[in-house]
Amino acid sequence: MSATALDAQAKRSQQEIRRLRRRALLTLRYVVLVIVAILFLFPIFWSFINSIKLPAEAVAVPPTYLPTEISFENYEELTTYGKIGIAQHVYNSTVVALITVAGSIVLSTLGGYGFARFNFPGKNVLFIMVLSTLMIPFQSILIPLFVMIVQVDLHDTLFGLALVYITFQLPFGIFLMRNSFLAVPHEIEESALLDGCSSLSILYRLMLRLVLPGIVTVAIYAFINSWNEFLAALIFMSDQDKFTLPVFLTTIRYGIWGDVNWGALQAGVIVSIIPSLAIFLALQRYYMDGLMGGAVKN
Amino acid sequence: MNSRKPLLLVLAFVLVIGSLPLAAQDDQINMTMWVRSIPFQTQAMVDEWNANNDSQIELTVIPSAEFVTKMGAAIAAGEPPDIASIDLIYTPAFSAAGQLVDITEFVRELPYADSLTPAHMELGMYEGRNYAVPTGVDGSFIVYNIDLFEQAGLDPDNPPSTWDEMLDAMRAINALGDEIYRYWFSMNCAGCNAFTFLPFIWASGGDVLSDDYAEATITSDPIVRDALAFYNTIWEEGLVPEGASIDNGANFVNAFAAGNIGMAGMGNFAIPLFTNDHPDLNFGVFHIPGKEGGAASFGGGDVIAIASGSEHVEEAWRFIEWTMSDEAQIEIYAANGQIPVRLELVDNPYFEGDDRQMTAASALAVGFTPYTVVYNDLFNDPNGPWLEMLQIAILDGDIDGALELGQERFTQIMEG
Amino acid sequence: MIGSIALLNLSWQQRRKLTGLLFVTPTVAFVTVFFIIPLLMTAYMSLHDWPLFGERAFTGLENYQELSKDRQYLKSLDFTFRYTALVTPPIFILGFILASLVRHNIRYIGIFRTIFFLPVVIGLGVSSLLWVWMVDDRIGIFNKILLDLNLVPKAQLFLGRPNTAMNVIILSVVWKTVGFTMILLLAGLQAIPDELYESAEVDGAGYFRKLFYITLPLMRRTIALALVLSVIGSVLSFDQFYIMTRGGPRNSTISIVFWIFNNSFTYFKMGYGAAMSIVLLGILVALTGLQLYVLREKE
Repeated sequence: MSATALDAQAKRSQQEIRRLRRRALLTLRYVVLVIVAILFLFPIFWSFINSIKLPAEAVAVPPTYLPTEISFENYEELTTYGKIGIAQHVYNSTVVALITVAGSIVLSTLGGYGFARFNFPGKNVLFIMVLSTLMIPFQSILIPLFVMIVQVDLHDTLFGLALVYITFQLPFGIFLMRNSFLAVPHEIEESALLDGCSSLSILYRLMLRLVLPGIVTVAIYAFINSWNEFLAALIFMSDQDKFTLPVFLTTIRYGIWGDVNWGALQAGVIVSIIPSLAIFLALQRYYMDGLMGGAVKN
Repeated sequence: MNSRKPLLLVLAFVLVIGSLPLAAQDDQINMTMWVRSIPFQTQAMVDEWNANNDSQIELTVIPSAEFVTKMGAAIAAGEPPDIASIDLIYTPAFSAAGQLVDITEFVRELPYADSLTPAHMELGMYEGRNYAVPTGVDGSFIVYNIDLFEQAGLDPDNPPSTWDEMLDAMRAINALGDEIYRYWFSMNCAGCNAFTFLPFIWASGGDVLSDDYAEATITSDPIVRDALAFYNTIWEEGLVPEGASIDNGANFVNAFAAGNIGMAGMGNFAIPLFTNDHPDLNFGVFHIPGKEGGAASFGGGDVIAIASGSEHVEEAWRFIEWTMSDEAQIEIYAANGQIPVRLELVDNPYFEGDDRQMTAASALAVGFTPYTVVYNDLFNDPNGPWLEMLQIAILDGDIDGALELGQERFTQIMEG
Repeated sequence: MIGSIALLNLSWQQRRKLTGLLFVTPTVAFVTVFFIIPLLMTAYMSLHDWPLFGERAFTGLENYQELSKDRQYLKSLDFTFRYTALVTPPIFILGFILASLVRHNIRYIGIFRTIFFLPVVIGLGVSSLLWVWMVDDRIGIFNKILLDLNLVPKAQLFLGRPNTAMNVIILSVVWKTVGFTMILLLAGLQAIPDELYESAEVDGAGYFRKLFYITLPLMRRTIALALVLSVIGSVLSFDQFYIMTRGGPRNSTISIVFWIFNNSFTYFKMGYGAAMSIVLLGILVALTGLQLYVLREKE
């Protein structure tokens, strides 16, 4: 009797120890998580802090930790920076991103539907051809792309840059949309077919709603990738009025007359981070779905 | 309710925006002009012109390090600016490629054609034809801080005239304290050092290119090694601030303006900046010396040219001709401390009695400018062999390795 | 009546084929114009002396012969591979540690996953601008902290020496991309059934036994994918070098893509740049082949 009681007690205290240990481990895990999270957030946070310093304080040597006065002068300076002002560059980046998003959605949806639901001669060859774009990144074919864009007079146009971006969103978009369409049961479509609807109206009236998550994912990737892209924008745009945000920011980095306006640069960094950050935070689920769907499943 | 409508609206909106025409057309002549980011009085010129003429010029400032890339891309795209203020050393490359308008006939009409700065005129020539005229004159020399010279017990009226005297002066200033530096070079700026370091070699009778610009003489000319060793000594003895080793030119002017630098290579363009923005800065000017004496200067600056394909050649020339007029040269250039591009105008009321301006202007007499179509690839490119050679020799002290590497890469580029 | 239905059926089949083809036509057209043709053109241009403007001439394999003598090109190849070899392990190891940290669905874990992933959606160009400023010797926060803690006697010129410049760039790229690897590995981790670990624990297996006998073998494919994606990304890197070091110091951080960019758009030697692109293409095809080989092996 007493032996079992002792046993039970020992067992209880053992459980207690295990519980405490688990708790300690969990606490430790949170401590580590918080520390790492701070380290990850620090650069963005620090950039923001400096963007709201007074312009003179933002270039102070050595730097101050906290602003002596909160000011939005750096942002104001950006509105007239380099005579053109940041608004024009935000507009450029937005237009390029939206054309890219629109083009990627239309092409990926049509193509994805075609590859998922139809049989036609040469289908596999064409599908592989589209996917092979994934293997050969645009960096290696930039030179002829430049020559071509120049020849059709699309150099220095936002539209030309967007065309290039659309092309390199396509393999991912087609792949993703094809999977989305494949996941829709055949029956839904067949009943509509029997009712005599055309393929386009089935796509438009019926399927679009069902593959909407896929479309959102394609749109997010198209937006973030085109918003952030640097090398192609650097090469295809030589007119300062047409610079996208990342290219514009590098001109601040090198300074117009040599002096680098670090405060304005940080304000510009914040301005250019906000849209992609907001879109990511709002539609995180779709973004992650795309990442998993596009990468892990293949 | 219907989730597709807004989507389609967005699509339509985007496609419309993307295809809007870029600018409205009208009858007025609008010209575009590019200038690299060097503080000549270009903006003032353009403003003055726009205020008094029907035709309007839109000026774009391109970061110096990107000028050739941007200009090349614009030419390839068939959309160059009408007028370009080009670093004179790039002119041969652009005129050889047929990208500039032949202005020989216009130049012949100028009554003062013979007094335009010869280095600029020569660089603006290709196969006997004129493609560009001077618009910014910028010789290199050394500025020194008179206050620091006096504090260090040096005679400010007798600035150094050999490398050894320069080193001695630096060492003397060195003794003044921790926050005082003796010299400044922007050792991560390729162009800055072509401008201020090459003359040390030239003044000693050496060169990195043969007289016919056909081959590199980096390993065969012993002066090149001596000059690198001279700068290496400055670096090793800590006579320049450490930050100079990574400066990409952003502090080329500012460093000396701060007042704690004894000497620095500089150009004419900086003098108005010093006198206007830093009136307390008590500085003098001397020529870049050779090893045992002598003097040399890099005849730098900008020429102005009309790009092939411009639809406003006559009007563009009218602007260019006006920039060289007495009125523009004296009331805009000289009045703002910039050297006129016509030699006879150096004697003007604004420069009278300013020794610094006169010494700086006299640097043009010993000015020299290399004529090669691959100048950018050799010297000015941040990834070119010139800067790499300087950094390895001066900062790392590996002079032999640097010379060998420089010779090899120069040769490769010059052979095309 | 019956006959007309059969006819309709037949044409309906063919119409389906035609419709399908029409649906994919825009995509195929895009890929042909902006991908297949440029690809062929790259090869064609690489056989020419093709200046950005001016006359071009057929030169056969001259560009390729020139490559073997281009000291900076060889240096760039070497640098790109060295950079890849140095940046891949920290991305992978840290990505794995982070994935393990956020693996279980404990409270608030979603927030931490999001935070670790945030830098991924920031452009590499913008993140490079952020870092070049943070490591500046005069106004950078890194030097400020190091100096205030008396860890260094004077401000460090992080981007002034090849070694430290490389380290700073690696640090910035790890910050920017590790979240991506983390998410990939997280998906792989979560696909492993908990029962496997539980039964291993019953057998008294410790952390490392579980790691080497369960986790890593079962995640083989995910790991391979994460590694290949990160390696390809590194081989193609340009933004960070162009913005942070401009290829310096001593031209020690010029990647292949950087050198292609310089030759094509600064020295105007587009044919030569195209020849380098062809070599780069070969490298990438080899890497992708490796990826396919590793991923397909046990199927």
